Amino acid sequence: MLILSRKINEAIQIGENIRLKVLHVSEGQVKIGIEAPGDVKIYRAEIYAEIEKQNLLAAQAKKSAAAKAAGLLPKPAAQTKVNDA
Amino acid sequence: MKCRNHQFGEIEYTNEHVFDFPDGIIGFEHLHKFIVLNDAETDPFRWLVSVEDEEFSLPILDPKFVEPLYEVTNSFEQGLTVAVVVSLKEPIESSTVNLRSPLLFDPNKHTGKQVVLENDRFPILHKFIAEPQLVAGEESC
Repeated sequence: MLILSRKINEAIQIGENIRLKVLHVSEGQVKIGIEAPGDVKIYRAEIYAEIEKQNLLAAQAKKSAAAKAAGLLPKPAAQTKVNDA
Repeated sequence: MKCRNHQFGEIEYTNEHVFDFPDGIIGFEHLHKFIVLNDAETDPFRWLVSVEDEEFSLPILDPKFVEPLYEVTNSFEQGLTVAVVVSLKEPIESSTVNLRSPLLFDPNKHTGKQVVLENDRFPILHKFIAEPQLVAGEESC
């Protein structure tokens, strides 16, 4: 892994189109600004990993388990409070 | 056209049934062409089936069955159909749906994508089946 030290307002350029800038540091938390083209997908790594894990797990599903779960689903609630959220 | 699926056998479909996912879905970025299959046995769960990989079928659900206040399309383009991915687990009550990264289908363009919502009010692991009984004193999560 490449390790670089940066001060506040200093940036790291990755390739031609991606720039990460350190905006703020305090109490163990770093705020990072990211400039990248719209087609570059940016995720918090742990969120991405959990979604990937759940997709992989979901793809193991058997019809029989889905049928069982279908019988236990709550009925869709009437949408009486949609605008109060 | 026809494709095979390990759970559903031979499936006949036309181009109009195919949703093109240019980026695939997370963890399956190599798959791009899917159809949505209704199955009477598992209704209202439906299946995202790959026409490229016969081993791939993913249960999905209209979010109205699990979260009536779920509103995704407002923050994106209108006219999209929303579905959430279902992780079936053992025991069945521990199964979850992923409200954080729904699938959005565009029925006009026949495209789809899995998005990740910024709003962390929507959990990745949302239980949707009531526990049979909670032991007194046990914390619910």
